[in-house]
Amino acid sequence: MKKFNKIIGNLGEDLAAQYLQKQGYEILERNWGSKWGEIDIVCKSNRESNRRGLSISTAAVGSLVFVEVKTKTGRLYGSPAQMVNPRKLFQIKRIASLYPAGINQFKRIDVVAIVLSYDRRLISLNHYQAVY
Amino acid sequence: MLIKINSVAHLGLASVKVMVEVDVAVQGFPGFNIVGLPSKAVEEARERVKTAINNSGFGFPDKRITVNLAPADFVKDGSCYDLPIAMGILLASGVIEPLPDLKNSLFYGELSLDGQLCHSRGVLLVAIFAKKNGYDRIFVPYDSANEALAVTGIKVLPVKNLAQITKYFNHQGEISAPNHLQTIPPPSLPEFDFSEILGQEQAKRALTIAASGGHNLLFSGPPGSGKTMLARALPGILPNLSLEESLEVTQVYSASGLLKAGQGLVWQRPFRCPHHSTSQAGLIGGGSKVKAGEISLAHQGVLFLDEMAEFSRSILEALRQPLEDGVVVISRAIGRVEFPCRFMLLGAVNPCPCGYLNHPKRSCRCSLREIERYQRRLSGPILDRIDMHLFVPYVEADKLTTHNPHGQTSAQVRQLVTKTRQIQQKRLKPFGLYTNSQMKNKQVKLFCQTTPDARQLLKLAVDKQSLSPRSYFRILKVSRTISDLEQNQLISVSHVAEALQYRARVF
Repeated sequence: MKKFNKIIGNLGEDLAAQYLQKQGYEILERNWGSKWGEIDIVCKSNRESNRRGLSISTAAVGSLVFVEVKTKTGRLYGSPAQMVNPRKLFQIKRIASLYPAGINQFKRIDVVAIVLSYDRRLISLNHYQAVY
Repeated sequence: MLIKINSVAHLGLASVKVMVEVDVAVQGFPGFNIVGLPSKAVEEARERVKTAINNSGFGFPDKRITVNLAPADFVKDGSCYDLPIAMGILLASGVIEPLPDLKNSLFYGELSLDGQLCHSRGVLLVAIFAKKNGYDRIFVPYDSANEALAVTGIKVLPVKNLAQITKYFNHQGEISAPNHLQTIPPPSLPEFDFSEILGQEQAKRALTIAASGGHNLLFSGPPGSGKTMLARALPGILPNLSLEESLEVTQVYSASGLLKAGQGLVWQRPFRCPHHSTSQAGLIGGGSKVKAGEISLAHQGVLFLDEMAEFSRSILEALRQPLEDGVVVISRAIGRVEFPCRFMLLGAVNPCPCGYLNHPKRSCRCSLREIERYQRRLSGPILDRIDMHLFVPYVEADKLTTHNPHGQTSAQVRQLVTKTRQIQQKRLKPFGLYTNSQMKNKQVKLFCQTTPDARQLLKLAVDKQSLSPRSYFRILKVSRTISDLEQNQLISVSHVAEALQYRARVF
């Protein structure tokens, strides 16, 4: 079971990375981290985000984006986004603070929630920006 | 989408409008937050609402949901915001269509995990608030709807579960609004009937007078003489509450959560007998959530303090002001709360620690000092507020064995008491009072007309016994009740004489 989750997780992360690249993000790191935890994807936005509700700093070109990818198979046990709780976000924030970045570098944390079917085809992919 | 739902918060018997604002955001990271100073119970509404919506067959929206309880400057407590929050989410996420008159509706009730609405406290207060503030309809739990029906002029919609109210809003079903009041139940049978009590004719007479006029009464006597039994027979001779009285009493019980599911108004006169270990908050009212105390739960009924001398002194002294005013004001950090407490105090004490002082057959084992200290437990100000004092003597053996077939039954006495109370009510209704004991000095002057010789006797007694002005008025009120028992207009010598007889110090 553990191994199964790992496979699903990796598959989801690949899908997320592809998606982000298509959206104009430059992938800097995959599974960056240390013994305290990992960040699934670290990337840099090369396009202005036009999402409403984002502050100028988080939507800016060139800001660092730390992405947590959550993948679930089927919708039986709730949506993947529900599985990212404040504790997990705090953990990501803590590790993100360790990432070497410039002083005036804008940063934000995004969540990519992926639902797969049981035969591992993509059902839905939601990109939530600046969740923390 | 933003939806605003009206609900109500309570502090004591007062109600405040609470606007439950529910926003289901179009975008944003999914989450469910409640702001606006929710207490722990309201915080937990999140899990109840989420599960109830899921279990009612509507998907819980996977969106960012923010709930605000306005005004946000006082703590909202209780579980009654479940229904307004759930309705807000269902409306805002488009599961149900908003009706145009949402503004004139109040929503109130606790949800259980399966989407059913549970019996919630304070529904009568919601109905009264709705009427006062011009709301047309209230949506309340089915089990609590009966108490709300007492308030006329508003539409009470008893909701069984979330699915039902959803169908109602989508014009697929009706919520039947019952429009008949629960029938008044006959007075229940007392624990002891008057006819079962052997001897103690004087005590029974005193009880009849006290019950008729709502006067405070203190029984003193040796153990086993029947003080407690007499007190327990009192509910049997008290008439049912009138509609006005019942509304007052039911408000207190509704706010305290003491009404059973499906119960309508309280018709039976309350009879409260707290144990002498009761705390001050328990007796007077208070606590961190400011609840009604025993004195308020005994409103329009009887507060029976058995072994009154065993109550702690500070608690008894705290009764002074409520005994006079008929209302108790409790000021705490969270606010000022006023509870009604027009009760009839009935006390029972032993004359000394061993209980056999002045007993004809047994000798008292107490020292003078012990007796003195014991009797000091009831202070002058408290005794002064008790209209009638009575010694309940030891019952002779031959009275126990001979059966008295002519003893009045509780039902007969209740008829007499009811009639006497009707006379008083006719007289006192314009002043908002119900019994003689509630009369203020102004009404005493108006209604306690005495014959000249009765006045002479009273004057003499006040001089000789150096009675306080308060005692004077209380004696007049008791005389008024005795006179009313005989349906007399004037208070005559015999009435005053009997009233004075109950003023003799027995403790």
